[in-house]
Amino acid sequence: MAVDPIVSAFREALGRGELLVQRCEDCGKLNMYPRHACPFCQSFRLGWAKSEGRGTLISYTVLRFGAPEGFEHELPYALGIVRLDEGVQLLCRLEPDADGGWNHFACDQPVAFVAKPAEEVQRRPCAWFGPAAGTGH
Amino acid sequence: MATQGALATSVQSENDPVFVGVGELPSGRYPNRSFIGDLTHVALLALADAGMKPADVDTILLIPNLHSFDAQADLVFSRMVEELGIAGQAKASFMVHSGGSTSDNVVRTAAGLIASGHARTILVLHCERWGSANLADMVTMLSKNGIPAEWELPTGLQFNAIGALITQRYMASTGSTPADMAAVCVTLRKWAQLNPNAMYRGKTLTVEQVLASRMVADPLHAMECPMLADGAAAFVMTSAGNARARGLDSRVRIAGSGGCVSHYSIGQERDLAALGWAKAAEDAYAQAGWGPHDAQLAEIYDSYAVVTAIAVEGLGMCAKGEGARWFTSGAADPGGTFPCNTNGGLLSAGHTGVGGGTALLVEGIRQLLWRAGPERQVEGCVRCIIGGSGGSYMDSQVLLLERAGA
Repeated sequence: MAVDPIVSAFREALGRGELLVQRCEDCGKLNMYPRHACPFCQSFRLGWAKSEGRGTLISYTVLRFGAPEGFEHELPYALGIVRLDEGVQLLCRLEPDADGGWNHFACDQPVAFVAKPAEEVQRRPCAWFGPAAGTGH
Repeated sequence: MATQGALATSVQSENDPVFVGVGELPSGRYPNRSFIGDLTHVALLALADAGMKPADVDTILLIPNLHSFDAQADLVFSRMVEELGIAGQAKASFMVHSGGSTSDNVVRTAAGLIASGHARTILVLHCERWGSANLADMVTMLSKNGIPAEWELPTGLQFNAIGALITQRYMASTGSTPADMAAVCVTLRKWAQLNPNAMYRGKTLTVEQVLASRMVADPLHAMECPMLADGAAAFVMTSAGNARARGLDSRVRIAGSGGCVSHYSIGQERDLAALGWAKAAEDAYAQAGWGPHDAQLAEIYDSYAVVTAIAVEGLGMCAKGEGARWFTSGAADPGGTFPCNTNGGLLSAGHTGVGGGTALLVEGIRQLLWRAGPERQVEGCVRCIIGGSGGSYMDSQVLLLERAGA
């Protein structure tokens, strides 16, 4: 089954180390997650904007037990909801610190997009975030 | 021809939809019970409670099971009409599905059918076999439902992580402590001690025990996560005119309803610590003409403590930001000022899938019919708040029920 173009464009950009956000070419509004028609003006003329990759951590969790099928060997891992400075938000994975933990994260702290190698994006096509420079605690 | 009941608000037209009977089987692990057998038993229990037989039913509405799509197909294709012996007489049999809030939407559907004259007596049925199903299969299934495959599945998100993301945000926004969150679970466990159908009847729980259990998805401990259960619940709705004609003096009407679908994917919820409750509550209270402090009890979806804590705030049962601490105060406990989830809820009666909300609804109806038994009946209650949600907590649904007199 072919991958939807709005999905493949987003994933290919992740593989190049870029975080894209969908932008309506008619009303100019940003959409996340990407849609098939603009949810604001219903236009089908949809393009992309490159995100600056900075945002705020709205919430996070560290999953320690009960991984979904295929994720068993990655436990524990951390998930976060990030609101980008551009205003839209997304679910992402969070980078562990040097000790392999996530105690350096807290709600409302500034976070930054972390580019991953293309092979990793191929395997797990999702965005990663870490503490914004100088904001870990 | 309206009849003046015990309450000024219970003046009812002939076609006003009312609940007249409920049935339920014990929740827990029952490997020797069967899906169709449980559905048949619970149907007959609810009909007997309403003083009816299957032949009195013209429409069956099914609340889906999640343990097996083959079993769900049996329901979709009207198996229960044949099992109950009303083939050739039943007008319609179909499924309504919105995940955990299905019970609220099935009530709206049934109410519309009865009020418009498209149905007279409706039997609503649910059975789940989660407690006896393969746990790994259920975890896999629950890690796909309500999670967009394109955008969130690749992160490794699953159901406990969704509950944890809401809990973390709620604790940060309100200053609620781990002990406050655990207190919600302890209140539910107290109620379960009074419910013969509850999975955790006979097993007490303390805040210390919750906090000592292993961390599953920070900040959620193992004892804050729901246990999958087998269970079955049913209820009967008919028109007020038909109920009166049959001499059914105890009945429950729908005073108001409201809802808000606030997201699909958890990553797109703009206010994780509030969800859609305030809007849903405002609409429901406006329709009913009464407010939270006119009710004597509430039955609110509780697959995680935070879901209920957020709901009691949005429903105006306590001050904003105080939901978890309100449970800590004991207000919702047996003997408290505002009994909440009097069957033990999903967390202590057992999580019967889509039926967790159905069990809470059935308990609310049972309380208003004054048939909850001597241990947990809220004495003289006439108004109950029902709150529904589920999935990724994408919707907040409110039904306001009231006892209608003869």
